Amino acid sequence: MLHVIFYFQVHQPYRLRNFNVFDVGGKGDYFNNVLNREIIERVSQKSYLPTNNLLLKLIEKYEGRFRISFSVTGTLVEQLGLYSPETLKSFMELAKTGCVEFMGETYYHSLAFLFGKEEFIFQVRKHRKMVEELFGFSPVVFRNTELIYQDEIADIAEEEGFRVVLAEGAEKVLGHRSPLYPYKTYNGRLFLLLKYYRLSDDIAFRFSDRGWIEYPLTVDKFVNWIDKLPLIEKEGRDLFLNLFMDYETFGEHQWEESGIFRFLEKLPEELLVRDFISFAWPSDVIEIVKYEPERISFPQPVSWADMERDLSAWLANEMQQNATVTLYEILEKVHAMGADDLMESIRKLTTSDHVYYMSTKYFQDGDVHKYFSPYGTPEEAYIYFLNALSDVREKLRRREIHEI
Amino acid sequence: MRVLMVTWEFPPLITGGLALACYGMVKELLKKGIEIDLILPTRDLVYFPLRKVEDADDPPVKFLENVEKKEREVNRISEVIKKFEVLGLVPSPEAYLSPAGVMREMLKELEEKVSLKKFFEVLSWSLERGEDLFRKVYEMAGRMPLYAEKLSFDLVHVHDWLTYPAGVVLKEITRKPLIAHIHATEFDRAGGSGDGRIHEIEYTGLSSADLVIAVSEFTARMIADRYLVPFSKIRVVHNAHSIEFPGGKRRIFVDPVILFLGRITLQKGPDYFLKVSERILKDFPEVHFVVAGTGDMFRKIVHLSAGMKLRTGVLFTGFLERKKVEKLLEAADILIMPSVSEPFGIVPLEAMAYGVVPIISKKSGVAEIVNNAYKVEFWDIDRMVEIVRFLLSDRKKLEDLAYKMKEEAMGIQWSRAAGKLINIYQELV
Repeated sequence: MLHVIFYFQVHQPYRLRNFNVFDVGGKGDYFNNVLNREIIERVSQKSYLPTNNLLLKLIEKYEGRFRISFSVTGTLVEQLGLYSPETLKSFMELAKTGCVEFMGETYYHSLAFLFGKEEFIFQVRKHRKMVEELFGFSPVVFRNTELIYQDEIADIAEEEGFRVVLAEGAEKVLGHRSPLYPYKTYNGRLFLLLKYYRLSDDIAFRFSDRGWIEYPLTVDKFVNWIDKLPLIEKEGRDLFLNLFMDYETFGEHQWEESGIFRFLEKLPEELLVRDFISFAWPSDVIEIVKYEPERISFPQPVSWADMERDLSAWLANEMQQNATVTLYEILEKVHAMGADDLMESIRKLTTSDHVYYMSTKYFQDGDVHKYFSPYGTPEEAYIYFLNALSDVREKLRRREIHEI
Repeated sequence: MRVLMVTWEFPPLITGGLALACYGMVKELLKKGIEIDLILPTRDLVYFPLRKVEDADDPPVKFLENVEKKEREVNRISEVIKKFEVLGLVPSPEAYLSPAGVMREMLKELEEKVSLKKFFEVLSWSLERGEDLFRKVYEMAGRMPLYAEKLSFDLVHVHDWLTYPAGVVLKEITRKPLIAHIHATEFDRAGGSGDGRIHEIEYTGLSSADLVIAVSEFTARMIADRYLVPFSKIRVVHNAHSIEFPGGKRRIFVDPVILFLGRITLQKGPDYFLKVSERILKDFPEVHFVVAGTGDMFRKIVHLSAGMKLRTGVLFTGFLERKKVEKLLEAADILIMPSVSEPFGIVPLEAMAYGVVPIISKKSGVAEIVNNAYKVEFWDIDRMVEIVRFLLSDRKKLEDLAYKMKEEAMGIQWSRAAGKLINIYQELV
C-alpha cells in the first residue's frame, strides 16, 4: 500500500515596521499592523478560504477516505483572530470533520530549539494548548520550524508526548535509502517521516514555472509518476509518500489562474480509484507499520529550505548571527528580570522569518528570500530588527537603573 | 552690490555640507545688504532673486522668459520643498535635466569663441558617453549665456566643480570677475586619485577664477599643491553653522550615545569609528554607538559591525533629514569624525552647539578653528579609545565639557565669515 500524506504548513509572521532609532524607548510596538492586516486579508481571500472550502468539499465527497494534516502557528492564529475571523472559523470547520490531523510545533515558528531549550519547550507547550483549545486535537506528531530536525529533537519531542516526527528527505542523510519508507529516530523511540521533496516541490515551487521542462503539470502526469513509486518495494511493505508544503502554495504562491485549485481537486479522485493508494495522516504510521523500521541518525540539523537544506537560510551571514545571538540573550534577560510585559513582543521577534529576511544568499534561493521579504534589502531587515531589540534592552535598562 | 551665485545644492534640499554652507553665507550676506541672484540646477530656466533675509528660507522664483502666469503660480506655493519640486529640483546631484540638443548647439558656438578648448573637450566626451552627472554639468554651463543676457550683476560666485563650467562660461561672456569657492576637491572625495575629468574641471575652474575661496588652510594647501593655484589668489574663509537656538538634551537612551554623522564613504572613515566602538563596548557595554547617514560603504559597514558581534552596540539610522539630524544631536554625547580628508566639516560645529563633545580628525578644516574639540589622527584608534574612555568614566566631566562646547560653538556664526566674503568681493569690484 502507498499512503499519501498531505501536510500543509500554515504560517504568517508579525512583520516588523520600519522601527528606527528614534522610536527606541517609546510606547509604540514593533509591528507593521497595516501591512500585516493587508497580507492576512489578501492571503485569506486568495488562498486560505478557497483552499479550505475546496478541502472541505473533498473531505465530504470521499467520506473519510481523503485525509490531510496541518501545522498552524500561533502567530497566524492570532492574526487571523484579529484580521480575518471567518478564516479562523473555516479552519475550525475543517477540524470538525475529523479528517484533519493537527501537528505540534513552536507557537512562534521560532529557532528556539537551537538557542534556548527552555524557551523551545515553553513555545511547544503553548502551541499544544492552542491546538487543543481551538481545534480539539491533541497532537502526537511534531514538526519543528522549517522542518529543521536533528537527533536531539527526538528526545525533547518524546518527553513532550509526541510519537512521530517529520523531517526533510535530504539525500545527504538518506544516502541510497528512499524517503518513501517510514524510519525510526536515532534512538528507535519515535517514527520519522521524511518529505519526498521532488514531488512536493513540483507542486509547491514549479507548478506554474514555464521554464520547467515538465510544465504544465497535469494531474495525469503527476499520478503517472506516483504510480511508479511502489515498484521499489518487493515484499509488500507499506510506503508513505510525504507531500509537505506551505499552504499558501494554493492560490498565493501559485495563482488561481495557474490551475492549482483544479489540480488539487482532481488529484484525490485519480488517486483513490487505485486500490494500492490511500490517503493517511502522519500519525497513522504508528498503526500501519507492523515491522521495526530502520533507524536514521541526523547528527547535524537539516531543514527544508534552499538548495543546501541546512540552517544557512537563517544563520549564514554576520547580520543573522548577531541578530539571533542578541535576541536570545535579551529574551533570557527579560525572563530573568521577570519583565512579563515585554515577553510577548520579544517572543514575536523569535519568529524565524525575521532572520530569513536578512539572508544575502544569491542565485535562485536569494530570489525566494526576496519574494517573501517586506524589506528592500537584507540590511534594512537587520537594522529594524536590531533597533527593536535595542528597545527591549533600553526598557530593561531603565528598570535596572530604577531599582538601583 | 549684486552677486550672481551658482550652486548645486540649497536647503531644504541637502545632501551634504555644501547646501548648509551656501545657506549660511547667503543669509548673512543678505543681512549685510548684498543682493544675490541664485542659480540652481533647475529643469526650468529660472533664477532666485534674493533681496532680503527671509528670501534665504523661501526663495522667490523668476523665470528667464516671460511666463508670468507660471511664475505667479510657483511663487504662490508656500512650502519651499514643493516649490523646488515643481522646478524639477530633487535632493540629489542627478537632478538636472533639460533638452540636451539645444545646449549642445549653444556650447559648440561658445567653444569656438573661448580659449578653453580642452576643458570643453572633457565635458563633451562625457556628454557623448551619456553619463548623467557630467551631462547635467555640461547642460548647466550651456544655458549660462541666456542668464548672462538677462541678468545684471557685479561678479560671479560659484561653488565646487559641478558649477565651475557655468562660472567659466559666465566669465568668458560677461568679463565679470569670477570667484571659485572650493568646499571639497576630488582628492578629498575619492580618497585616492579620483576621476580625471573632475580634476580637469577643478583645475580649469580654479585657474580661470580671479580669486579662489578655500574653506580651510587645509584646502588652501591642497589646491596650491595639487592644482598649482598661487597662494596670492587664495583667500581662506572658514565655514560656520546656522544653529541659532539649539535645544537642550533630549535623550533616547539613558546611557551615553556616541555618534558618527555623515556620508558613509571611505573619505569619512566609518571603519575607524567601528574599530573604536569594538574596543569601547568591551568595557562599557551599556554605551550606544549610532551610525547616521548613508553612502557607498553602507552595506560593508553594516556587515562589518554585525561581524564584530557587538549585540545592539552599533545601530544605524540610514539617511536622515535635517530635523532628524538635530533630534539625534540632542540625544548624543560624543561625536567622532575620523575623516581621512575633510576640507571643512560643519557637523562637529553643529554637534558642539548641541553640547556634544567632538573628537575630530586633524585632517579637517574645522580643526583649525575650534579649541575645545579633541583633535586626533584619523588612524589613531588608541588615542580615540583613550579619549572616549576618559569621557565615559567621568560623566560630570562630560557635562562640564558639553557646556564649554556649546559656548564655543555659539561664537562661530556665519556673520563673521560673511564679513570676510564681502571684503573679498570688494577686492574685485
